[in-house]
Amino acid sequence: MEILDTTEEERLESAQRWWKENGQSTIIGVVLGIVIILGWQYWQEYKHTQAEQASTLYAQLLKAVETNANDNVQKLADQIQNEFPKTDYALFSGLLQAQLKAQQNDVESAKQILVKIGTSSNKELSNIAKIRLVRLMLANKEYEQGLQLINQVDPASSASFSSNYDELVGDLYVALNRLDQARTSYQTALRNGSKSPLLQLKIDDLTAPERVEAKK
Amino acid sequence: MLTKIRDKAHGIFAQVMLIGMCVAFGLWGINNYTDSSKEAGVASVGDKTFYQQDVNKAYEQYSQQFQGMGIDEQSLKGQALEKLISDEVLLQYVRKQGLVATDNDTREFIKTLPYFQVNGKFNDGQYKALLNSQKMTANEFVNRIKNALIMEQFQGGIVNSSFATDYDVDNFFKIQNQQRDVDSMTVAIPVLTEQPSDADIASYYQQHQAQYQIPEQLSIEYVELSLAELAKKVAVTDEKLKVFYDEQKDSYTTPERRKISHILFVVNDKVDDKTALEKALQAKQDLATKDFATVAKEVSDDKLTAKTGGDLGLFNAGSMEKPLEDAATTLKLNEVSNPVKSKFGYHLITVTELVAGDVKPFDSVKEEVTKAYQKAQAETGFYESGETLTAMSFEHPDSLQAVADTLGLTVQKSTLFTKDKGDGIAAEDKIRGVAFSEEVLQGNNSTPIELGSDRLVVLRQLEHKEATARDLNAVKTDIIAALLADKAKLQAVTQAKQIVARLQAGESMDAIATEQKLSIKKVTGLSRNKPQLPEPLTDAIFKAAKPVGDKPSVVIVPLPTGEQVIISVTKVTTGIISDDDKKKLALAKKNIAHAFGQAEFNTVVNSLQSSADVTLTPKAQLQEQAAQ
Repeated sequence: MEILDTTEEERLESAQRWWKENGQSTIIGVVLGIVIILGWQYWQEYKHTQAEQASTLYAQLLKAVETNANDNVQKLADQIQNEFPKTDYALFSGLLQAQLKAQQNDVESAKQILVKIGTSSNKELSNIAKIRLVRLMLANKEYEQGLQLINQVDPASSASFSSNYDELVGDLYVALNRLDQARTSYQTALRNGSKSPLLQLKIDDLTAPERVEAKK
Repeated sequence: MLTKIRDKAHGIFAQVMLIGMCVAFGLWGINNYTDSSKEAGVASVGDKTFYQQDVNKAYEQYSQQFQGMGIDEQSLKGQALEKLISDEVLLQYVRKQGLVATDNDTREFIKTLPYFQVNGKFNDGQYKALLNSQKMTANEFVNRIKNALIMEQFQGGIVNSSFATDYDVDNFFKIQNQQRDVDSMTVAIPVLTEQPSDADIASYYQQHQAQYQIPEQLSIEYVELSLAELAKKVAVTDEKLKVFYDEQKDSYTTPERRKISHILFVVNDKVDDKTALEKALQAKQDLATKDFATVAKEVSDDKLTAKTGGDLGLFNAGSMEKPLEDAATTLKLNEVSNPVKSKFGYHLITVTELVAGDVKPFDSVKEEVTKAYQKAQAETGFYESGETLTAMSFEHPDSLQAVADTLGLTVQKSTLFTKDKGDGIAAEDKIRGVAFSEEVLQGNNSTPIELGSDRLVVLRQLEHKEATARDLNAVKTDIIAALLADKAKLQAVTQAKQIVARLQAGESMDAIATEQKLSIKKVTGLSRNKPQLPEPLTDAIFKAAKPVGDKPSVVIVPLPTGEQVIISVTKVTTGIISDDDKKKLALAKKNIAHAFGQAEFNTVVNSLQSSADVTLTPKAQLQEQAAQ
């Protein structure tokens, strides 16, 4: 088996040859690896710091809401949305800002904010924003627009919210005095597992006259 | 009621967690942070698995919250599990969304917690002592608080940002404060004395035969394999029993009961090791003349236990640091240890109550041991015989004799029984169910029926008696009573319906009342929240349609007695915001906003849960169902 026996020299030689052929790519690979790891770490660190900064401001914002320090609410909410637009904190801040506007009867501003959140990729919060938007439209007598907006909601991303929307549709129909349609919508909401405390009350208030005869 | 609980349950997460913790703080050593890796999980959310003990613990905390609300244990347990899962789903979600609680905010929050305060100020010693009593490191605790805080950030973003418009508030009061005026008459059940004709009785008897029958009956023969019976036949010798006794000694041993107290001398930034040790030694000297509890009260740095004389409760192996445990286990009653070092500082330990453990000698428990031994030995035989029973009763479907002979059992017989009731073996629901199954009624052996985990029965039909009609004369009085009651009720209903039809056709209630000698009861300004009438009536009135123009809306409400109440809703007054409400309008608006926000948050939680990776074992599914 002498053929397979390699001497020290031969092994060294083959290593050198290998290095000559592959050395450059190895170095590039290692450097690239290190850069990716460091970059990833930096990115994580950066994201975490961003989140921490946003979290701190958000804690202050919640406190300002609690103490009705409206100027501060406005300022902090703006700051979070401007400086950390990619975080969920920006969305929360928007919702809180919309609340303030609604309370101050600045319906247009409140609607604008909610429209924006309604387009966010966060499924849950965008649905919440749309629900609140429709509630503002209801108060603002924009019934048809409200119905249209709900009609445009993508059912795939709002399945769990369907009973909330159905109830709102019912409210809009009541306002339009289309009571039969309102009743149907409320009943759909109830069937879809609505947990709204007022829904049953609203349904009971809309009993159809013909049911009287049907009832024994 | 349930929604009420659920809403409450989605309260402030940290608060809920702390309620649980403060309960646990009081129970030194009874916490469950034991290794649970061997058990199977009950439920899992993503890569997090919950074990039965997690559920039990959640239930303990949960039941504290809802104590005295008269909710049964099963449904509370199910709800505790539900809450455990929905909280975990939420936690994983908010983490994924990149929400964080900063160290600073977390620290500030912890400082506000009353559990860690002495005289209204955060106290580091108290903090450490409490965490120690929970066997929780500061790191673990801070992480748990951080989790709770980010969940609150999310909840706050939805619930605290909710608003109600003036329209919402008006609308609420319109319905809530609505008033209705009604006229009502009650049609009584007539008392009938006229005897029904024989023909009527006969035809009623014909039509309701099922009701007047001697029901279908069955008797069975059966073989029963019973673990207890097998166990009786297991032969025992003293030698074998002794070996068994030695193996199972733990079951015949009462463990030692040892109650311990301690005095802590903290070592920290301000107090160095030497000073603390000196203080401990000084205290030890004082103890020669002073009571341990008194000294603990005066000098212990563990302020929580100091109040109760340093009492740490019952000693549990494995719940303290090793040096402390060594000291605690070797002390005699009321003996005080030398200062023992732990990571908190120096402790003086004493035993305040000591009941020695007790091993029951073999002779005193021989009978018990015999039974346990026989049962253990018989188990293998029981399963083997069970298989034979299953196989042979299937192979020989026409008889039980073969299998009885093979297994040395006797074929036993039952008395006659019905589907609903029986004696002896037929007292078991399962037995009656199988006995009346098609398979058995066709003359085959039944499949084996398990009664508990230690009895196995195979049965076959012995005698089958079809249902037979009871003689008409025997049931005549019953039939007459039933006929009269039916007729009377029918008359009342018919009368009520006729009246309603006439009212709807436009006749006045006054005229009809005079004609039918009924009295009218008028109620005006009836309101939903202040019922002036019995509940079923108020309910029906507010569920009734509204009058159209000047045409009243009429409904009949049957009372449990059979009386028919005719209600005519004559007027509906839209609710207005009363002066009283006006004073609280801001609050009402806030409450409605909060109710909206809470409902929205619950929807969000459901939405997250529907897309989360949650699995439940069958048992957990049952528990969840109990919560519905």
